[in-house]
Amino acid sequence: EDAERGASADLAVVEARRRLLDEWLAWRASVEEELVEDRLDRGLPEKPETATKLPEDGEEQVIE
Amino acid sequence: MRPILLSGHERALTQIKFNPDGDLLFSVAKDQQICVWYSHNGERLGVYKGHQGAIWTVDVDPTSTFIASGSADNTIRLWEIKTGRCLKTWDFLTAVKRVEFSEDGRQLLGVTEKRMGHLGTIVVLNITPDVDAEQSDEREMTIVCGESKATVAGWSYLNKYIIAGHEDGSVSQYDGKTGELLDNVPLHDLQVTDLQWSPDRTYFITASKDKTARLTAARNLEPLKKYTADTPLNSACITPKKDFVILGGGQAAMDVTTTAARQGKFEARFYHKIFVDEIGRVRGHFGPLNSVAAHPTGKGYASGGEDGYVRVHHFDKGYFDFMYEVERERQNRL
Repeated sequence: EDAERGASADLAVVEARRRLLDEWLAWRASVEEELVEDRLDRGLPEKPETATKLPEDGEEQVIE
Repeated sequence: MRPILLSGHERALTQIKFNPDGDLLFSVAKDQQICVWYSHNGERLGVYKGHQGAIWTVDVDPTSTFIASGSADNTIRLWEIKTGRCLKTWDFLTAVKRVEFSEDGRQLLGVTEKRMGHLGTIVVLNITPDVDAEQSDEREMTIVCGESKATVAGWSYLNKYIIAGHEDGSVSQYDGKTGELLDNVPLHDLQVTDLQWSPDRTYFITASKDKTARLTAARNLEPLKKYTADTPLNSACITPKKDFVILGGGQAAMDVTTTAARQGKFEARFYHKIFVDEIGRVRGHFGPLNSVAAHPTGKGYASGGEDGYVRVHHFDKGYFDFMYEVERERQNRL
């Protein structure tokens, strides 16, 4: 019974996190859309050209 | 995660800043010098000398050509990174507590201190992106903070807004072109001590003496997240690549009245940016953390302490592998 209660509590936590993640991603999508509109309004390309490229896992170069 | 210890400053650090590529780290302190370090090995590359007072703030322009600094000697200085030449000095009536380049590097804002007879201001200077050009003396704009002085400020995406944090804990949104006050919200209960941006400058994190950090949208000052710590915060940053935030703070020994409050406060605290749980701490400093900075590519972070040290950390594999179940679930669906 305890295990069951624990499991349902865990489930509730996971559900809450899923909701938070969905909310966040929806908010990001709306902000990114607005940002692209603002950029185009100013005659800028959709994405900044000089954006720092994030290295992929494993292909990071170590300079010694 | 073995840190690199940078010892070169003789007094408390006030701000640290990576350049956009993250290969260089700039640090300023109360000892009147600006240091630049290679972030991968901690070797000191140079020192920029000239300020006649504690240096409160430093920023790097987007092309890694210039740095700007603000000091208790009432000046903002512009320096050429490569040669260490001081290219320009702007004089003010009070100390300069914060500087920040706009996203395009064409403008620089400065936050000036409030003092008897002088209100705190946010000034905007135009920058000519040429090391041999004469920089203009003129202030493009001056925002006077009559209600509560600004302690920190920065530029949003596309220079659309100037966002400022104030001594009374509120955060303001100003029009980036006209300086008109568009909104002011009481985000924190006490002084705002830091304001740092997301990579695209659409949202920002503020740290406060009220022991919380908050994530807020630049476009409408909508509160997004709140992170609760157990000590006054001096600094907060957002990590790229992983959805974390890093908070730094701690109470100076002379402010601590109980021995219990003394334990374990000089740590960098990691929180999940979206789920707001605290997920880890990194010890090391012997005094409060005055400034934390995330490496722009997400591969590490650095902290500057009241103890006079800068610590640079490169994350190990475990950090990148760490994922909440729901994050993994989503990743697998993509």
